[in-house]
Amino acid sequence: MAKDMTLWWGSGSPPCWRVLIALEEKNLQGYNQKLLSFEKGEHKSKEVMDVNPRGQLPAFKFGDIVINESYGACFFLESKFKSQGTKLIPDCAGSDNNCALIALIMQRVFEGNTLHQKMADVFMYNRRVPENERHESAFKRLKETLTTELQMWEGHLKKTPGGFLAGENFSMADVIVFPSVALLLRMGLSEDKYPKLAEYYKKLQGRPSVKATWPPTWKETPGQELLKDI
Amino acid sequence: MAKAMTLLWATGSCPCWRVMIALEEKNLQGYNQKLLSFDKMEHKSKEVLDINPRGQIPTFKHGDNVINESYAACFYLESQFKSQGTKLIPDGPAEQALMYQRMFEGLTFYEKLTTVAYYEWYVPEGERHESALKRNKEALVTELKLWESYLQKLGSGSYLAGPSFTLADVVVFPTVGALFGFGLSPERYPKLGEYYSLLKERPSVKASWPPHWLENPKDEDKLKDALKDI
Repeated sequence: MAKDMTLWWGSGSPPCWRVLIALEEKNLQGYNQKLLSFEKGEHKSKEVMDVNPRGQLPAFKFGDIVINESYGACFFLESKFKSQGTKLIPDCAGSDNNCALIALIMQRVFEGNTLHQKMADVFMYNRRVPENERHESAFKRLKETLTTELQMWEGHLKKTPGGFLAGENFSMADVIVFPSVALLLRMGLSEDKYPKLAEYYKKLQGRPSVKATWPPTWKETPGQELLKDI
Repeated sequence: MAKAMTLLWATGSCPCWRVMIALEEKNLQGYNQKLLSFDKMEHKSKEVLDINPRGQIPTFKHGDNVINESYAACFYLESQFKSQGTKLIPDGPAEQALMYQRMFEGLTFYEKLTTVAYYEWYVPEGERHESALKRNKEALVTELKLWESYLQKLGSGSYLAGPSFTLADVVVFPTVGALFGFGLSPERYPKLGEYYSLLKERPSVKASWPPHWLENPKDEDKLKDALKDI
């Protein structure tokens, strides 16, 4: 199974990390993988473009199946390997509690996309916006938007005593969102201003799938301070 | 079932349309619904904020379960009502994987549409640049050509993931509907044109067709040809 899979990925990229965590959680260790460098432009190499014409990572192949969307790969892995490893999305049938749980998991999974976008809007501002189009007012607004978003997630975590995003158990919501939270802390987010996010980060750091897939480049270099004033 | 559901929505909103198509496909007609006005800022009303602190629509409730993310609501409905209405997630791995791939590419597709069609809503006057809008249009063209190629590969009469209508069509068709609503040329994009013609006859799509693309007739008039030259 795992031997028929190949993942092309970059260190520290939340979309890539989501798939790495999902593979571990579903007991699919042993997949083929290729670590590439964004800095060196390897995501635009022929090798990646052959699998993903968008020239983006992650790129994921399983036999003839290709899924280059991190959410898509995670959902597919859960569906195809439902009965092995951690159950990331419960079955709805027969239980109102499960249906409520699915609703919450799905809600957080997709809010995770908003979180990631708002983070990227801030870190990638100078890369995405040509110099003559940049405005202090725009950058300021993007930072304020990120702050509001982070406060919302603090609120979400205050409401789930179990410590995971959807309650007492690790779920697809954590697979999708934890990598973004880790990146926030790596980029200098203040643990004092965001104590619940910091607590969540520390709790998940100890999870085997997270430890096994911790970004290699993060072990080698210190983090940044870009978000310390958010 | 449907009587325990409420959808707060606005006309011309692709995310709302996705949920409405899903409700129709799962035979859940008869749900409670309330049409809100963006222009009157009703999405920021207490009624919405009580259920969705983000002040966004769609806002969907099923009993005590609240889901304010369109994709999440669609997945929830398919999971909760798997055995009724249209089967929206195919079992075959290849078709399922393609469905997931296209669904999540659909988020990118929608985003590229909004950066062009809603440019003036998203960007304050002092921060707008011709060069930025031009770049957004070029990105949308690249995206459109990609979807043309996807449909080309599958052949006439096909849905996005193959021979059957799936969740990929539920979440992506609204974007295609909006593109043609804003004047996209079916001569330049014949495969998308064919797909549009096929889906617009589908009962769930007809039943939920947006009354207007934009609430204010002046805005709608202004935008109806916005995409005709791209």
